[in-house]
Amino acid sequence: MSLETVIRSIFSTLFLASVIRISTPIIFPALGGLIATNAGVPNMALEGIMNIGAFTGVIVSAYTGNVWIAILAGIVAGVLVALILGFFHLYLDTDLFIAGLGINLFATGSTVFLMYILTGDKGNTTTLKSLSVPELHIPLLKDIPYLGEILSGHPAFTYIAFALVIVVYLFLYRTRFGTHLRAVGENPEAATTLGINVKTTRLIALGISGAFAALGGMNLSMAYLQLFQREMAAGRGWIGIAAVHLGARKPVGTLLASMLFGFADAIANQLGSLNIPSQLVQMIPYLVTVAALALYTVQQKRAAVERMKRYQREQAQALQAEGNE
Amino acid sequence: MKEFFRSKSVREVLRILLAVTIGLGLGFIITLFVSEDPIGAYKSFLLGPLSRLNRIGDWLEESLTLILLGLTICIVFNASQWYIGVEGQMLLGAMAAGVVVLYVPLPAFPRIALAFLAAMIAGFSWGIVPALLKAYFNANELVTSLLLNTVALKLFEYVLKNFIMHETSRSVSSDMIPRDLRLPTFIPDLPFLQGIRDLWMKQTSVTVMVYIVIIAVIVAYYLLYKTPFGYELRTVGSNQKFARYGGINVNRTIILSMTVSGIFAGLAGVHLTLAIHNRLIMGMSSGLGFEGINIAILAGNNPLGVPIAGLLYGYLRAGADVMERSSDVSRELVLVIQAMVLLLVTAERLLPTIQERISDHKENGNNNHKNNKVEKLEKEGA
Repeated sequence: MSLETVIRSIFSTLFLASVIRISTPIIFPALGGLIATNAGVPNMALEGIMNIGAFTGVIVSAYTGNVWIAILAGIVAGVLVALILGFFHLYLDTDLFIAGLGINLFATGSTVFLMYILTGDKGNTTTLKSLSVPELHIPLLKDIPYLGEILSGHPAFTYIAFALVIVVYLFLYRTRFGTHLRAVGENPEAATTLGINVKTTRLIALGISGAFAALGGMNLSMAYLQLFQREMAAGRGWIGIAAVHLGARKPVGTLLASMLFGFADAIANQLGSLNIPSQLVQMIPYLVTVAALALYTVQQKRAAVERMKRYQREQAQALQAEGNE
Repeated sequence: MKEFFRSKSVREVLRILLAVTIGLGLGFIITLFVSEDPIGAYKSFLLGPLSRLNRIGDWLEESLTLILLGLTICIVFNASQWYIGVEGQMLLGAMAAGVVVLYVPLPAFPRIALAFLAAMIAGFSWGIVPALLKAYFNANELVTSLLLNTVALKLFEYVLKNFIMHETSRSVSSDMIPRDLRLPTFIPDLPFLQGIRDLWMKQTSVTVMVYIVIIAVIVAYYLLYKTPFGYELRTVGSNQKFARYGGINVNRTIILSMTVSGIFAGLAGVHLTLAIHNRLIMGMSSGLGFEGINIAILAGNNPLGVPIAGLLYGYLRAGADVMERSSDVSRELVLVIQAMVLLLVTAERLLPTIQERISDHKENGNNNHKNNKVEKLEKEGA
């Protein structure tokens, strides 16, 4: 395939739809990480919780035959695991980072262990008849040329992910609890003096992040594919954490950062059809994210220096004014 | 006797032993539920690695890699850097060693020596990028090092597929490394050891890496506790502000912590290429990256504890392999046990630390762990 066809395909509706598809399983853990980070408890177990959510969804859907019960079970599993993490960190003083790694280890071990017991296979659950979430064809929207092809026909999870961005924004900045949550993250001592229960707030934040990560996992196992694979999250939980950093711990920023990775990944997929070694192409999304992180921090630093200079100028002026009097 | 139990290190060891016991106990309960023959399965798990000479060899080999990874993490964790780029450093170290041994036309000894050097440089260099990003831009080292791990993996696959692998080869791997270019067995070629040497060589392939690992442990200990660099590193780790006021070049220390530790990861890479796999192959480092963290934590971030923790986890992993082959329980059980132990060991409020906290409180009027550490470092500095 020539470069021209690749460039043309990048501007096609199919490509833009694939950006949305690839970004969705990153947006979920990223939003979860966002809430936890804002509460001052960055959740390092997102990766593991995604695996647990993905696994639970598949297993429950295969045994009950009901997608909605399966999704509910997946969310409950995610919340429970996140609460265990919170319990260890908040009540037993385990380092949050290390406890997160412990949970990840547990997630890999327990999902593969149980998968082997239930299916006799350690790679994936093809033998189970698990269900998938229906695709939504949005009336009216689907009939608009171009836009309809890009935005309509995705699995329900995709719409939930984008809707959650708005919900999280409203939650963090427009509700009382959201404000408390951010206060707890910003300055726990001050929050305590205001009568906010820091531990409970953080525990709830971790629980929410667990629910989101589990949804991200089920997006992989019940929409992206229709089965569970060993270590299915494949690093998406970690990329979600990167997206939180890159997105300046803000909902819209996190969404854009997740989509930047999705965009780079989609481009890499397109370039894969050119005669470039696929491994080099697959590096692109990761390098783009690292570069973006570096650029972002440079810009942050510059802004901080700028603020400092302005402050000094103002101070000098104030002193001068005082002197003149 | 009371004094003995009050000493901090003894209590720390007891704590870890208790955590491991609880972890193994929970593992057994899980086995009871899933196995037809739980006793037999657990017996093969706990005693399997000792049952045959070749299994002892597997255990030791596994442990050597783990110890080197543990040392790597030990150094960065002492600087309080949540850096987990070990996997990338190890993989590129393995590649560097493999490329040198396969393609540099030198006699065996200098060739292997050059392979070691190349791997150590590779490990060191791969730490530079996240280190610079952290030191100068304050970019989160956890995130950057994780992302770069994937980049390293792709780089490894790229070089392997496009330059090293034969087109006719069925698996994605290099040629086998000739026998005389692999690491020799660790028992020296002396007349009175001939019998043991022959027996050992027939069954296992534990190499001279044993001695290198022992040296590495001592070097890491010396580096952390007996050199100015180690002092600076630990000071930065316990209180960065204090370190800065004390005139320590914090940026330099952070950069060196991530790069110097990579040298040990590079050595682990050599061990993978020249002793375990004896070639470069896809997925040769799979899942080892995070093991270093488990081991460093279990060792209390002390290089002298790392060999013990490494041997323990090496034993559990080897035991899990035996169990999987000889029973109906899969080896992933060991991951669950490891996770439990990790959580229990680091749960400060759990197990006997309660006592310590109370006694600290009485003695000092405060139980701030960090302050004590800083005081200790201050004394050392003076």
